[in-house]
Amino acid sequence: MLQIQNVSKTYPNGTQALKNVSFDVKDGEFLVVIGLSGSGKSTLLRCINRLIDPTEGKIIWDGVDITAAPPAELRNIRRKIGMVFQQFNLVKRSSVMTNVLSGRLGYVNPWMSLLGIWPAEEKQRALEALGRVGIADKAHNRADALSGGQQQRVGIARALMQDPKLILADEPVASLDPVLSHSILQYLEQLNKEGITVICSLHFLDLVHRYATRVVALKDGVKVFEGTAQEIDRAKFKEIYGEEAQEVRAASL
Amino acid sequence: MPRETANSHPVARSGLASVFVPGLGQFLLGERYRGVGILLGFLLILGTTAWYGEPFWYASPILIWVWNIWDAVSLAGGRARSILLPLAFGLAAAYGIGWQVVEIDFSKANVDRAIAILRPMARPDFVQPRREVNQMWVPVQVPCSSEPPLARREDEGKTAFVMPDCGGVGETLIVSASGLWPNAETNIYWQNPIGNPLMLGEGEITMLTLTSDENGAVTAAIRVPSTALVAAPDPTLPQFHRVYFEQYRPTGGYELSFIGNEVLKGALATVSMALLATGLAMVFAIPLSFLAARNLMGGNPVTYAIYVVVRTLLNILRSIESLIIAIIFVVIVGLGPFAGMLALALHSVAALGKLYSEVIEGIDPGPIEAIRATGANWLQVVRYAVIPQIVPPFTAFTIYRWDINVRSATVIGLVGGGGIGFLLIELIRVNNMRGVSAVFIAIAFIVIVLDYVSAKLRERLV
Ligand SMILES: Nc1ncnc2c1ncn2[C@@H]1O[C@H](COP(=O)(O)OP(=O)(O)OP(=O)(O)O)[C@@H](O)[C@H]1O
Ligand SMILES: [Mg+2]
Repeated sequence: MLQIQNVSKTYPNGTQALKNVSFDVKDGEFLVVIGLSGSGKSTLLRCINRLIDPTEGKIIWDGVDITAAPPAELRNIRRKIGMVFQQFNLVKRSSVMTNVLSGRLGYVNPWMSLLGIWPAEEKQRALEALGRVGIADKAHNRADALSGGQQQRVGIARALMQDPKLILADEPVASLDPVLSHSILQYLEQLNKEGITVICSLHFLDLVHRYATRVVALKDGVKVFEGTAQEIDRAKFKEIYGEEAQEVRAASL
Repeated sequence: MPRETANSHPVARSGLASVFVPGLGQFLLGERYRGVGILLGFLLILGTTAWYGEPFWYASPILIWVWNIWDAVSLAGGRARSILLPLAFGLAAAYGIGWQVVEIDFSKANVDRAIAILRPMARPDFVQPRREVNQMWVPVQVPCSSEPPLARREDEGKTAFVMPDCGGVGETLIVSASGLWPNAETNIYWQNPIGNPLMLGEGEITMLTLTSDENGAVTAAIRVPSTALVAAPDPTLPQFHRVYFEQYRPTGGYELSFIGNEVLKGALATVSMALLATGLAMVFAIPLSFLAARNLMGGNPVTYAIYVVVRTLLNILRSIESLIIAIIFVVIVGLGPFAGMLALALHSVAALGKLYSEVIEGIDPGPIEAIRATGANWLQVVRYAVIPQIVPPFTAFTIYRWDINVRSATVIGLVGGGGIGFLLIELIRVNNMRGVSAVFIAIAFIVIVLDYVSAKLRERLV
């Protein structure tokens, strides 16, 4: 279980991106975080694996305080948390294979990895991960030679390499078209069914309804809702997204 | 008619004002920018003409002045005149003066001279027909001792002798050789005891060339060269000089000529000088570029100060032509490729440092964050997220710089920086136009090939 306890984040320039946010994520959940642009979704997800250090509060995962972990332990925690990004964040000039293998950096011998030498079984594992997302044939292409949907699948394969117990997905489909969005989210759903906890930020409510087992909504860094997608009625929607959005999106509810 | 007077008064006034000070009329009519512009333009043209001192061009400011009065009068009537006209006058003057300043004079072109230079250039001295040499020599004593030895020598079936066996400067000798190739051109020349060849032909500046007879024999009457004893420590001391007989014949095919060989050596020196300079520059530019990258150094005031200093230094260094730096280094370390190499390296440090730092500033933070998220350590993040992003553009820029440096190295050679440029200036000095032409071809070849290679390599990197 992941416990977010009174987490706040103030950036050095004074922006308060998170204000006293608390909630729990049970193992096996598909938790979706929603909120307007700038509401703090990315900040929240990055606090969980401490790509960003929260200013206040604790994040406890299976009894271990992530926020207090020293560097070596933090790296051990991180390797169990896969992350998928809106902009895919692949190393564009490297091959798909290298990108996927890099998901394994927390496990292999660091010196060998610095030389770029990978054990045969890790390469096998990478091919299997690519096979799972259906692009094993692209292993030796350059990452930027792939389409957006394919790149995001490489991103998922990279996360899979970590043998994760938790996957953080920060708007994984925001730069993809609706059809591709479903195909990517279905991979995440599949992983979720296999027992991996997923925390995913999303923009579109129809996607939230389809995939979320539970929803947390943020507004200006404050948690304004926690519950199932079905519980988001017009009043809640208005509270989360504001007056104007309601008029535009009301029909979709 | 009150209207008429009201109108004619400003016409007269502004026209008159512009007669005395160009633009004043316009200024008084409220067209201030126009007035000031006319005055400044007029003064500029007037000043330029006065400075150049060619009376003919005073026509331009005068025409502008006339136009300005016309414009002032029209403006008072509510209608401005197009400024295209004075602009054209001004440009005509500027262009004409420019023409004279650069002393354009087609009558100076000397067609005969051009032909004298261009004709040998049509036959670049790069290769020559391969040939073999048949050589024979015989010793002869100069000046005579009391008992001169026999001036006769036999070698591989060839015989050569001189009669008499010795002689003084200016005396006539009969030289003869047999057993040479028959019916072949034979060069005959003198060699003093320290090994310098001396010509025996007309006026001692041309080669004495005869054709051997059908039995392979030549005989000639020569004079002991006037300069035969110039290098001798004691001209009264008898010493052995030599008379050489030399025949050549083509053996088919071609070989590098002497100049061709020099051109190749020069080209190699230039390319490797550029390569060395680029490599050296890279070594210094890489660490400097990190200091000159804003995204790395912008964090706190101390690093930011370092950033500003390094950036400024690089910018200053980059603005100095490598040719100028080369001249300074020639003074410091002397003529030769070393000076040129150092100059290129220094200039390249600045140029590469800036390009590299821009690459670093353009790094995508996304992959860095992604690799950190996998639990990788710092070195692994650098290896898997930073290096893949900077190495290809670094390499591309370095190759590009090498390409530029080869061109600069050629020019730097001209000021004594060694390599093919130095060879070029030497050949021009001795008026060896066939050699010059070979150098031109070599430079063109290097530049084109390198341009192509570097473009292809860079294509693969981006
Ligand atoms: N590195 C940073 N420095 C300062 N302020 C930041 C930084 N990153 C984000 N912010 C600010 O923090 C707030 C929350 O940003 P965050 O990126 O977490 O929002 P988000 O919900 O992910 O938005 P989006 O949907 O646009 O991705 C915003 O006001 C943003 O401007
Ligand atoms: Mg975001």
